[in-house]
Amino acid sequence: MAHIKIANLRKEFGVGDDKVVALQNVNLDIEGHVFVSIVGPSGCGKSTLLNILSGIETPSSGTVDITQDRHDANPGYVFQAARLLPWRSVMDNLLFVQPDPDAPEARERCQRYLDMVHLGDKGDKFPGELSGGMQQRVGIARAFAVEPDVLFMDEPFSHLDAITARSLRRELHDMWQATGKTILFVTHDVGEAVELSSRILVFAKGGRLEDDITVDMPFPRDAADENVAVAKAHVLKKFEDLDLVAT
Amino acid sequence: MTAVTEQVPKQQPPVKKDDDTGLVAFIKKPIVARLLFPTLFIALWLFVDGLEISKVFPAPDRVAQFMWDELRLETLARTNLYETLGLSLVRLFSGFAVSMVVGTAIGLGMGLSKSVDAFFHDWVMAILAMPALVWALFLGLVFGFGHTGPVLATILAGIPFVIINVREGVRNTPRDLFDMASAFGVPQNRMTRHLLIPSLMPFMFAAARYGFSVGWKGLVLAEVFASDRGMGWMIKFWYDAHRSFAVVGYAFFFVVFAFFLEKFVFDKIYERTFRWRPSAGAIELVEEEVEEHFIDALDPEGASTLPKQIRED
Repeated sequence: MAHIKIANLRKEFGVGDDKVVALQNVNLDIEGHVFVSIVGPSGCGKSTLLNILSGIETPSSGTVDITQDRHDANPGYVFQAARLLPWRSVMDNLLFVQPDPDAPEARERCQRYLDMVHLGDKGDKFPGELSGGMQQRVGIARAFAVEPDVLFMDEPFSHLDAITARSLRRELHDMWQATGKTILFVTHDVGEAVELSSRILVFAKGGRLEDDITVDMPFPRDAADENVAVAKAHVLKKFEDLDLVAT
Repeated sequence: MTAVTEQVPKQQPPVKKDDDTGLVAFIKKPIVARLLFPTLFIALWLFVDGLEISKVFPAPDRVAQFMWDELRLETLARTNLYETLGLSLVRLFSGFAVSMVVGTAIGLGMGLSKSVDAFFHDWVMAILAMPALVWALFLGLVFGFGHTGPVLATILAGIPFVIINVREGVRNTPRDLFDMASAFGVPQNRMTRHLLIPSLMPFMFAAARYGFSVGWKGLVLAEVFASDRGMGWMIKFWYDAHRSFAVVGYAFFFVVFAFFLEKFVFDKIYERTFRWRPSAGAIELVEEEVEEHFIDALDPEGASTLPKQIRED
């Protein structure tokens, strides 16, 4: 079971007068089959937190431990843009991040996850031949195909139209339920966070973790459901109470 | 929703106004437009020839006859067209290969290191600013008539373009893709093979195209002044013999060679290397499939029950 432990995390960019504090005094403990959304206004350090957890950035101070059954956990990442190699086919994009791309089981695994995102017949296409929504699906399949212990997702649906995003949210939820992964999901859409998450972390400007909300409602949740609307209003009220609403 | 949709007057699809009829439509066809330029060029040439402004002005039929004779090895020069072209091509490819290898190494260094960039920057600019004629004269004086001068002229003409293109390629490597690869723990050698090198390919290709064409011009100039063989020397031979039709004929051999090189070498390599760049038609096709898929996903009971007008919209 994956376990993420963050203690006294701080991240600064720049030096001297140009110094910007992206994250400060972040302490977190996330364990097991949970879907955790990270919400907050622009520039509150949401993406920086994911970048530190995935190893793209290093913290200025503090510690981050991500383990799976006491060993280093294997991470997967879905980015805001799909970030596919445009010169490689869809299948080769999935194989590119596999630990052993030449192994026959790697190709089978990639095909299985392409099937899960309904792109099983698009393996030989180049990314440029697919729509934005399909490219993001490939990005999701690529992250799941490394069979990660922890999956980081950074506003993966923010560039997509409402219909495509809705469809992908459903697929993501089904895959999360089917695979039992720990997912950390950055979003600026509170409705999306309420629909998908078992837990919502609210960050404020300056990179402070302001609130940790447990969303105790059965899945699957529908955005049109009254309970989801009430929960969304509750989280938005927290935003107002914490003065996080952009003015 | 259906009722609202039904009240909306059905929009007529925009009718493409077809102004182009008859002769205009015929001229606008790409193949016709492409053939129009050489046709007009020959017409203009014949017209100027008819004015008889100079006794040595070459008539088109005289140039064509000369080219045909050269192709059939009937020449007054001491080397024939094939020997001349073959020698120049050997020099050109030798110089081009050196430009690509050395230029790529320097360009990579300049793109990756600020101090390497600072060291080479002014030298590259100086070589770039130097007229090829100066290289041709200088190399002729230093190395005399032989292979060294023309090959060096090819290198010096082409290498700045290779360096600059490769440096820009390194500076424009997609940072977000490298971050993606490191987030997934992709090993360095796989990143180099599948990410760094392919991302440099458009710049390498531009470097090769520029390096080749500029190197070719540098070579011909050097052969005029610093060689006793080759295409450049041959043009000078005919110039000295006061045969303007032969000078123009050899210029056309250049054009034909450059055309074939572009069409059957560079274009083929380009198509093969960049086949991942999508055609507009391919994208349209997949988008249509996506729309169908989403409509079905949103209405699992049966997409066919949706009003036809909504589906089309």
